[in-house]
Parts: sequence; structure tokens; C-alpha cells
Amino acid sequence: RNSSDEKPAKFQPPPKPVIIDKLKQIEERRFLSPEFIPPRGRTDPLKFFIERKDMIQRRKVFNIPEFYVGHILAVTTADLYAKDKVNRFVGICIQRGGKGLGATFVLRNVIEDQGVEICYELYNPRIQAIEVLKLEKRLDDQLLYLRDALPEYSTFDVNMKAETRLDHEEIPINKLKVRMKPKPWSKRWERPNYNIKGIKFELPEKVMKEAQKWRKPWLEFDMLREYDTSKIEEKIWKEMNEELKK
Amino acid sequence: MMPIWTKSGKKHAVTLLKVQDCHVLKYISKEKNGKTAQLVVGGKNGSPFSKSKSETEIFREAGVPPKQKLSVFNVTDDALIKPGTPLYAAHFRPGQFVDVTAKTIGKGFQGVMKRWGFKGQPASHGQTKTHRRPGAISTNKAGKVYRGKKMPGKMGNIYRTSFGLKVWRINTKHDIIYVNGSVPGHTNCLVKVKDSKLPTCKDCNKNPPFPTFFADGDENLPEDLYDEEVFQFTDPSVTYT
Repeated sequence: RNSSDEKPAKFQPPPKPVIIDKLKQIEERRFLSPEFIPPRGRTDPLKFFIERKDMIQRRKVFNIPEFYVGHILAVTTADLYAKDKVNRFVGICIQRGGKGLGATFVLRNVIEDQGVEICYELYNPRIQAIEVLKLEKRLDDQLLYLRDALPEYSTFDVNMKAETRLDHEEIPINKLKVRMKPKPWSKRWERPNYNIKGIKFELPEKVMKEAQKWRKPWLEFDMLREYDTSKIEEKIWKEMNEELKK
Repeated sequence: MMPIWTKSGKKHAVTLLKVQDCHVLKYISKEKNGKTAQLVVGGKNGSPFSKSKSETEIFREAGVPPKQKLSVFNVTDDALIKPGTPLYAAHFRPGQFVDVTAKTIGKGFQGVMKRWGFKGQPASHGQTKTHRRPGAISTNKAGKVYRGKKMPGKMGNIYRTSFGLKVWRINTKHDIIYVNGSVPGHTNCLVKVKDSKLPTCKDCNKNPPFPTFFADGDENLPEDLYDEEVFQFTDPSVTYT
């Protein structure tokens, strides 16, 4: 210690401990709606840019929630010929198709023993509200086989209550194996080109073996069919976030 | 092509046309041409190498980079424009009707069923080697085949026009015209857009920018011009009462 100092050494407090909150560190899951990804083709990217601007503009005014095939949604649309001019339909999302402003999703439900499927356009201005009632992904990305499954798998209560979202992570995957009506079906779902994992096939082994004849094992290695969307998705994600903040 | 919705909730399909580097190139006077004066307009910029001497001269005189497509418009004397002026999408206004001309998609040498829509012959019941053939080409009395008889040949790659297409929306920033319905030609093909000649569409355009829209900075148009009936995405959802 230096005795020449008249004042004692200034007290330096210890450095503050840095608390790392592991819950917040986990990155927020990114969900880019599939209709934003442009299809492969010769169209000018300017066309997709302008379409995206319109889509983002609509999303600013009207909330389109994040949903996948297998979620149960309730959609209210404006209908001229309905009582109260408003029509509400509840159903499971079977299929999401289309790109850009014409993106659609099909909801299926069985009402009074009659199967009903309605195809809605995401950006149609007549849609008043889209609510997600139940969150669950399924094993496949299209559930068209529900048309040939027993009706109990497509019936959903019209007055079902909305399920609250837990966190911004991990949508549960329902590994339900659906039982089918007896054959004939609308499509041969046992064939490998549909690649369906959500059916409990109760068919004889001979039929399943015969279906494997239509296997195309070379398809996954076909380089001309490759369409790597990761970079495109990043760009579009950044663009979207910038526009939504404005 | 894109969907567009009206305020009443109806959906219409719309084609996007981009006005890319358009300039007025040449003025042909009334005396040289038959009845009306003509203006030659050039489209998209292209390479100067595959152009003939006369064409390069036209571009040089107008002081404009060489263009890929040239088209001629019949113009009245009071609507003349100086060669070298650029033309923009704001020349057209929403609510106007327009004719679009372009070369159709080339299908190559095609048979009579695809080219002219003939019915062909049945697939079975004894037909010998005859399923997609034209059948009879003339009568016995005529003793000849008439000129213009529909027969197999090269289909497509010819100029065709779609008439009376409504303009729903114009984007002045990117020079894009949203035109109702479909338009002949493949994606990204060069197209000629004219004011409609149909008698039903004569009164549709009230005050067009005459002779054209000059981007001198006098009028600052908003980025998007919409027709009255078009649903703009800034509005809330459509409701019925």
C-alpha cells in the first residue's frame, strides 16, 4: 500500500452478475406463411414484390393467424343471403393451396351427417374474422383422406371454445392414426406417392405389398426438382418484418 | 395475373402490364400516311446489335436507347408529341377501357382438332386409323377445295387483340397497369396497349391526360390510382347491411 496517498483508494464495487435468462434466449419461432414463397418459374420478381406489398397491407388491417393443416378454425364471412348477413363456419383445415393473393385453405366439418368442405381465400375482403380454435399439427401436410375416413374424425362441435395459446413455441403434433371406411376410396391412399402416415391401414399385407410397386425411390435424388427456398425465405422474412413495423 | 376484389365483394382476375422505358420515336405526317398522322412508339430497351441501319437511325434521331419493340399509333393532329418524350403508365387512368395486342403463344404445327376445334372421329367401333383427321374437305359439286379451308398448320405466334379490357388500377411508382381479364401472349412478352375502339366504351374515359402524362413535376400523383369500385387493402373488411 502506498502511504504517500492522502485519500484512501476509491472503493470499486464488484461487477454486477450477468443473468442469462435461458427462456428468452431460445429464438422466437419463425413462421412464414407458405403463400409468401414465390413458385419456381419465369415470372418477373417485381410481380411477387408488388403482390407481397398488398398482402402485407391486408395483414396490417386484418389479423391472419398462424395456422397449419390440422388446426381447427372458425371463419366468419359477410354473406348477403344469410341471416344477420354474417356466416360462421367451423372446421378442420385439410389443405392450404395457392400462392400470393389467391392463397386458399379448405375447412371440413360434418354437419347433420353431411360432410361439408368450404374453400376460403385468405385475402378475400369478405372474411370478417379467422379464429384458431384448436392447435395441433398432423402427421401429413394434407388431410384429403378424411373424406374416406369414418365421419367421427371430421366432426367438430360448431360451438367449440377457443383454446389459449401456451407460448410462442412448439405446436403439438397429433400422431392420430385414422380408421377408414371400407374400400373403394376416392384415391388409393395406400400408394407411396401420397406418402400418408396418418392412416391406420387395416388392409391385407398382399394389398400393401402390391401398392409398393408404384414406389419412385429416385424422386428424392432428382436434382431438377430441387427448390431451395431458405435464402428466399430469409429475404422475404426481413422484408415482411420491416413493412409490418411501419 | 392476380385477383382483385371490388367493394361489393366480387372477385375479378387481373393481368399486370409494365410500361418499361417507352419513348415516342418518330412522327409520320398526315400527307405521308393515308388519313391520319402517326406516331411510332418504342418499348423495352434492347441490344443495339441486331438492328438494321434504318432502325438505328430512328433511335439516333430521337436520342433514345435502342428499343426491342416498335409499334405505330394513329393519332389526331392535336395529340402530337415530340419524338424523344418518355411515356408512363399514368397515361391511362382507372375506369378506362383498353385494347391489348400481342403475339399469341406459338404451338407449332398442330392438327385440325387443336387448331380449329374439329370433333374428330370415335375412338372405337371399327374406325380404321382415323381418330383425329378432318374427314371430308369439300363437296362433290364444288369440285375444288375453297381458299381458306381449315386444315392442319402452324398455330399461334400471330398478333391477336383482346378488346374492351377495363383498367382497374395503376401503379405510378413502378409503371404498372392492372388490366381486367387475360391478355394474349406468354409471361413477360411485349404488348401494345391502345384506347378501346369499341362503341360501348366511347364515353368511359372522361378526362384523360391529353396528349399524354408528362412527368415534369407539375402534378404529383399518388403511388396507386384505384378505380372507384376497387377494394383497397387499407380499408376494413367488407360488410353487408
